[in-house]
Amino acid sequence: MLTPYLAFAKKSFLNRSAYRFNHFMGILNTILRIFIFWGIYKALYGDRSEVDGITMTMVTTNFILSICLEAVFCVNDFYLPDRINSGSIANELLLPISFPGRMLADNLGNAVFKLIYHFVPALIVSVLIMGIQAPAGIPMLLLFILSALLGYGVLWTISFAVQMCSFWLINVWSIVTIKNVFVNVLSGSMIPLWFMPDWMSGVLELLPFSSIYFTPVQIYLGQLSYGEIAVKCAIQVVWIGVIYLIGTLLWEKGKRKLVVQGG
Amino acid sequence: MKNDTLHLAGVYTKTVMKSWFQYKVDAVLRSLAVFLREATGIIVIYFTLLKFDTLNGWNIYEMLFLFSLLFVTYGILIIFFTGLRDFGGTVRSGNFDRFILRPRGLLFQLIFCNADWFAAIGHGGLGIVLFVISAGKVGVVWNAATIVYYLLAIVGGVLIQGAIFLFLATLNIYLLETNSLKELFYWNMRKFAGYPISIFHKSIQVIMIYVVPFAFVNYFPAQYLLRKSDMAQYPDIFMYLTPLVGGGMYLLAYAFWRFSIRYYKSSGN
Repeated sequence: MLTPYLAFAKKSFLNRSAYRFNHFMGILNTILRIFIFWGIYKALYGDRSEVDGITMTMVTTNFILSICLEAVFCVNDFYLPDRINSGSIANELLLPISFPGRMLADNLGNAVFKLIYHFVPALIVSVLIMGIQAPAGIPMLLLFILSALLGYGVLWTISFAVQMCSFWLINVWSIVTIKNVFVNVLSGSMIPLWFMPDWMSGVLELLPFSSIYFTPVQIYLGQLSYGEIAVKCAIQVVWIGVIYLIGTLLWEKGKRKLVVQGG
Repeated sequence: MKNDTLHLAGVYTKTVMKSWFQYKVDAVLRSLAVFLREATGIIVIYFTLLKFDTLNGWNIYEMLFLFSLLFVTYGILIIFFTGLRDFGGTVRSGNFDRFILRPRGLLFQLIFCNADWFAAIGHGGLGIVLFVISAGKVGVVWNAATIVYYLLAIVGGVLIQGAIFLFLATLNIYLLETNSLKELFYWNMRKFAGYPISIFHKSIQVIMIYVVPFAFVNYFPAQYLLRKSDMAQYPDIFMYLTPLVGGGMYLLAYAFWRFSIRYYKSSGN
């Protein structure tokens, strides 16, 4: 049952290994991003050892983990739009497999590649340069991994739903870009969400973005009790369900009205 | 002849604009998307400074002013230098051969044949918004001298980045593929440029001043106008060099271009 999806995932894994120099640049990019935020926060902290109970090491840990995860979580936002624009969607729909399933397989193959060849080296170099706080115990590390997987699910379903707009719009680049602005600002990878003003915390709780990176990071740092972890992970699952449902509805509707030009 | 050139530039610009704004709703959305994407860093620094007040002595308005120089110069730059930014593609597709056959200067054609208007509106618009928000609140006395200085700094900043684009475009003649170099030397370094460079490691500062001199695009011009205390670690003369650095770099890049263009070999079909 899963065999064709595994084959797609493997293909996308192998595809990634073809561009060596670009890949190296990607790793450098990740490290530079972390390095810049680290530099900014070192200047902001100055001589202070903590701000609102948050130490500089915790801030560093937040940036290293969320920005390295960001590299793994790179979902191809143009998987469906590209296929609609080129018309190859017509052939894909003829295949006896689920297209969303294929989308996920392709992204996961990519993610596994990034985890091994991007996340790990970027993490090691960053930790050597900037240091990191150790996880709050083995159980928390395992829960961090679980929550990070769910975080990937949230990010993936958001992208999945946004891509469905390409059935109705000629060009989804703008919408995808605006979506990414929301993800970047509100997920905690550019501002540790501890430092958001109070009125923003309310907004953040109503939106799915903080559960992408910030929830796993909080678990890693041991800031949440087991009860809180259960609630936060349940929230992640609910978001995945809700957004996936919206995406699937759009997919079913869009598939019906799909018109492919040329041939 | 001179008039003719101007006329041609006008015709080119009109055609380019028409092609970029073919789909109106899409054009508006794209410009908005670029605007928001570029504003991300600013939203982030805004929220951060709500909590921390200042970054190495720079308050939020001074930071916005520093950012505005970066965006205004890029907005102007991209009107003229899109052809050079995307030159790699032009060479690889063989389209450059068509340019060579036409009876006009190559650089002239590259400059006027394309302009990324979404980027120009997105970046430039953001730069102007930031300038308007911050200019009155950073304690700069806007008189003839400061205005002339500001304009010269903008021209210098555009030329510095233009020279980097021209230099990297010229490398295409030898290498065919330079996107990764551009990523490395332009886009990565630009990420540091929004912040006072004094907060970064010495090695980054050296690169930003001497190798890819983004410091002269916004940091030193902003320092001339704002006189923050972290300027003490750099020679005062740096605050006056932007137009010179820009002009010098551009002339060098232009000489490199003229020298290299003789060696151009088509990529084939």
